[in-house]
Amino acid sequence: MTARRVLLVLIGAAALSVGLIATSQLGARDRDEAPSARATHSSLAGIPQQGNVLGDPDAPVTLVEYADLQCPYCAEWAVRTFPVLVDNYVRTGKLRVVFHGLAFIGADSDVALRTALAAGRDGRFWDVVAGFYLRQGAENAGWVTDEVVDGVLADVGLNRDRVRKARDEPWVSSELRTAQAAADGAGVHGTPSFQLGRTGGPLELLHLTSLGPEGMTPAIDALLRP
Amino acid sequence: MSERSSRIASVVLALVGVGITGYMLVTRATGATLSCSSGGCETVQSSPYSEVFGVPVAALGLGACAFVLGAALAKGEIARLTGAVVALAAFAFSLYLLVVQVIVIDALCDWCLATDAVTTALAALALLRLRAAARFAACSDPGRVRVTAWERP
Repeated sequence: MTARRVLLVLIGAAALSVGLIATSQLGARDRDEAPSARATHSSLAGIPQQGNVLGDPDAPVTLVEYADLQCPYCAEWAVRTFPVLVDNYVRTGKLRVVFHGLAFIGADSDVALRTALAAGRDGRFWDVVAGFYLRQGAENAGWVTDEVVDGVLADVGLNRDRVRKARDEPWVSSELRTAQAAADGAGVHGTPSFQLGRTGGPLELLHLTSLGPEGMTPAIDALLRP
Repeated sequence: MSERSSRIASVVLALVGVGITGYMLVTRATGATLSCSSGGCETVQSSPYSEVFGVPVAALGLGACAFVLGAALAKGEIARLTGAVVALAAFAFSLYLLVVQVIVIDALCDWCLATDAVTTALAALALLRLRAAARFAACSDPGRVRVTAWERP
């Protein structure tokens, strides 16, 4: 083993590591620049949306989510677990998800939820919900500004004037009341809360032990077993 | 340390590295949560630095450990040289990731630290293996020994 070969080893290792580090830095910068829009669109692209319902209407299992867009635990669940459910169950036609939005935390919850419901008319309810979760600020800090709303709507390609106008229409208020009545009927006392069951059958309130996927997937898998 | 001893130690450590990175990769693929005492694993794993252009860093670590394992099991100069290149590059990259965890992400991942320890030990063993091979080459090449002796003051 000559000194020249040892030098070649060191040069090779240095070149390989510098290449990896440069690639890592470039990739991280790219993802920092536009994480929200890319993440949202890639996870929901191609999945049917009908208002606040996501997934195949004939999916064998239904999950009902009760959430407030200002609730930090709801956002954590949306970031950690929801994409896993979408990829493994919704996209494969095994699960449909119904979102009942509640606005009990404050005014920011109401504005964000009305925006999402109005976007639901254009089949973008879930994209807008994801957009608000990704931009979530401190509770009742006034973070749902016009600028934030416009940013969320621009990410999903919706006309902001049309959506803003629609969010004050009576049918949106009616949807809010329907969601609240569903939560009351289900015995929901906090968010996020979930009901799960076979589609068309009775739904049971879940008692989560974790906000991660492992807190929910066993129950879904059990329902999917023949 | 003889070349044989360093190869045996490399095999054991590379297997440990394959186990750790394999666990991280499977956890990521299934969407499960890493068992983590520091609480920083999820933060690190969901950061933009957990992938290199779409390839999970854990997969790169798994590939590096598997390569070093293969190189340690094989005999010959090519295995020594390529094993050393990969082990040293893995060490440098894990050092970079450690700096990123401390300075940029501000969170530490137990499993990443364990991988760092393994890559550091593998890099040291790769250097020892090169050194042991160089000594063996000097002993088995009388001409080389003579030249070395002449150069001594």
